[in-house]
Formats: sequence, C-alpha cells, structure tokens
Amino acid sequence: MPNILKPVAAAILFAAASGLNAQPTPDAVDLSSFPAKSIDDVVVPVPSEVFLVLDKLGNPNWRGEMRDSLGRQTGNRAQAALLLGTVIAEGFVAVEAEDPEKVKDIGRRVLALSKAINVEKAVLERSKSIIDKADVKDWKAVRKEFDGALQDVKGAMIELGDGDLAQLVSVGGWIRGTEVLTSIVRKSYTTDGAELLHQPALVNFFSKKLETMSNRRLADDDLVIRIRKMLTSIRPLIGDEDGAPIPVENVKKIHQLTRDIVVSITSQEA
Amino acid sequence: MKKILPVILLALALSTAFAYVDDALSFAQEAALPYVKKGFSVREDAWGGDLGVKEQQAMQAQLFKGNEYWFCLGTDVKGAVLTVNIYDSKGKLVNAETTRTGRLSAVRVVPTKTGSYFAIVTVVKSPQERTGWALVYAYK
Repeated sequence: MPNILKPVAAAILFAAASGLNAQPTPDAVDLSSFPAKSIDDVVVPVPSEVFLVLDKLGNPNWRGEMRDSLGRQTGNRAQAALLLGTVIAEGFVAVEAEDPEKVKDIGRRVLALSKAINVEKAVLERSKSIIDKADVKDWKAVRKEFDGALQDVKGAMIELGDGDLAQLVSVGGWIRGTEVLTSIVRKSYTTDGAELLHQPALVNFFSKKLETMSNRRLADDDLVIRIRKMLTSIRPLIGDEDGAPIPVENVKKIHQLTRDIVVSITSQEA
Repeated sequence: MKKILPVILLALALSTAFAYVDDALSFAQEAALPYVKKGFSVREDAWGGDLGVKEQQAMQAQLFKGNEYWFCLGTDVKGAVLTVNIYDSKGKLVNAETTRTGRLSAVRVVPTKTGSYFAIVTVVKSPQERTGWALVYAYK
C-alpha cells in the first residue's frame, strides 16, 4: 500500500496531542491547535468529484471539451509528469463524454508516459483494465481505474524518491481539470457553477509545494516557473475563505490562464 | 550480526507499523461498502497512522457543494473507540449523519459551500497504547 506510506509518516510525526474529550462531539474546534503541517496539506480532489457537480448543474457538452490531441512528450521529466497529469484528467473528461475509443487511447497513453518516467510497472494493470472496462462501457469502473492510476503513479514516484515529480502529476491534472471546469462554467454562468472554483487552500497548497521543491532542476524548470506564476495570478480570482461569489470575468481569466499552461504542457519543446 | 541487527529491528518495526495500517484500511474500506451499494465512488487514496488515547489527527480536504460525502474510518484494535468528525474552514461541525459499529465509524457530509473541510480523527479510548487507524472517503 505505497500510497499510504507518506500519510502514515505524517500522521506519526504530526499527531496532535490534545486534551479534548471527544465525547460528546464538540460543535466547534480551534483548528489553530493542530500542527500547521497537518492543516496545510490538502487532499487533492480527483477531477470526477468536480465533474459530478457540473453534471448535476446542467448537461455539459463533454465531447466538446475533449482535446483532439493528448500532447507530445518531449523527454523533459517535469513536462512528462505534468503531461501525464493532464492526460489522466482527460481520461475523466472522456468518461463523462462516454467515448470508449478516446478512453482506450488515453489508457494506452497513460502507460506510455508512465514508462517515460519509470513507473510503467505501477500502472500496467490499470491501463489494461481501463481498456477492458471502456470496451464494455462500464464508466464507473473506468473512472475508478483512472483514479487508481493517478494514485499508483504518484505512489510509485514517491517510492522512487520522486515526491516532487509526483506533485507535478497532481498539478497537471488539476490544471487540465480547472481548464475544463472554467470552460463549461463560462459558457452557461451560474454562481453555483462558479463556486466550484472556490479552492483557495488547494491553490495555496500547490503554490507552496512548487516553491519548496527539493529537486532544484525541477524547481527551476521553465514550465514549473510559469505554473507558479499562474497560481499566483489565480489566487485572488477564486475568492477568499468566506467564499464570496466568483464573477464570470474571473472565470474567463482563470480559463485563459489554465488554457495557456495546458497548451504549453502538451506541446512545448524540451 | 551487530551491524545487521538494527536493520532487522527497523524492518520488523516498519513491517509491523504498515501491517496495522493495512488492517485498519481493510476495516475503513469495509465501512465504505454500504455506500458503494448506494452509488458512492470510493477514492483510491487512503490516510492513516497511529494515535495514542485522546490524540487527534486532522486532514484537510477540498469538498464541493452539490456532492455528498461519506468519510469512513477503520481501526485494527478490537475494543478501541475512534471517531471521525468533519469541520468547515472556521472549525464548525458539519456532520450530517454518523454511524459506528465495532471497529468501523463513518460520517456523512453534505457541504453547503465549496471549500476546505477538516476530517478530525480522535482515539476516544483503546486497550492499547497506540491505535492504528485508516480513513477513506466516498463521494456521490
């Protein structure tokens, strides 16, 4: 269970010794009494958690959101990890669009990109399963396999000591997911739809992770530098902790920012 | 042998640590099963560790208004009582429903706002000094 290794360590190191009696359940807690590390780390949602809400809000044209090309891998490890994240996110879009051929293509691509960053073994079974389940149009199972592929890739990278690279896979997936989300919301704007962008802690978390990368080569990568700037630009556009409504202008700006980065991730030269 | 002994002891300690997390994870996944039958998707990610009695661990998650979530907690220690409660970014309790059976606990959340939420795991009582736990969540 490689995915659990890091959280285990975090839990052991940052367990909060508290004098609180947990019975009965308190109606409120002072979150500042917990160590900053455990509070600052954020569980990154999988794209389908967001897409599910979009489905409930309307009937998005998922086919119209799919990219024709999944992008090119240029040999640069940072770009490969980011690209892998965008391709997995694309898998969730293709599932929403219920496009078996695209899903199978993405399943194969996930495997090829994983090979480029030495974690092929971790997703071999997932890739086969994605293809098998897409063939029978078991969309729920395919979604679960994409989720699993994402976790397996990240887990394998962490095991190889490539935690920074694993973070880039998450960031790539989030950027592509946000591009799709803003594309749909801007086309038929509602405050409820725009509220899905209210993710300040997640944006802060990604910013912090990219700013504190231990691998200097990755930290100084042009694409990583551009993403750091993009996150800084997005932060004031997604509202404060109180969740004030996010206007359509902000949705459009975020769409442009994420779209530009996705274009760079998917087609840049090394 | 002197050089190898610490390595063996470390390996033994680690294998024991991960064994109890694996056991706790099995219980957490078991706690999630009834919700899978109700159409929830369980995240492949899991979080876990060990805590002493009265100790707590917080995990921050981004939840979305419009979705419904079940956070499912399991422990490997028979007789231990653990709770999981969900609080919003201001520290206000947002549990919609809670269940507890033996080593399994679960809490349902229906976010009224999209944003950060905190799952707080507490070991209320336990026959052991350290209690292994694991948490998964499901969404619909």
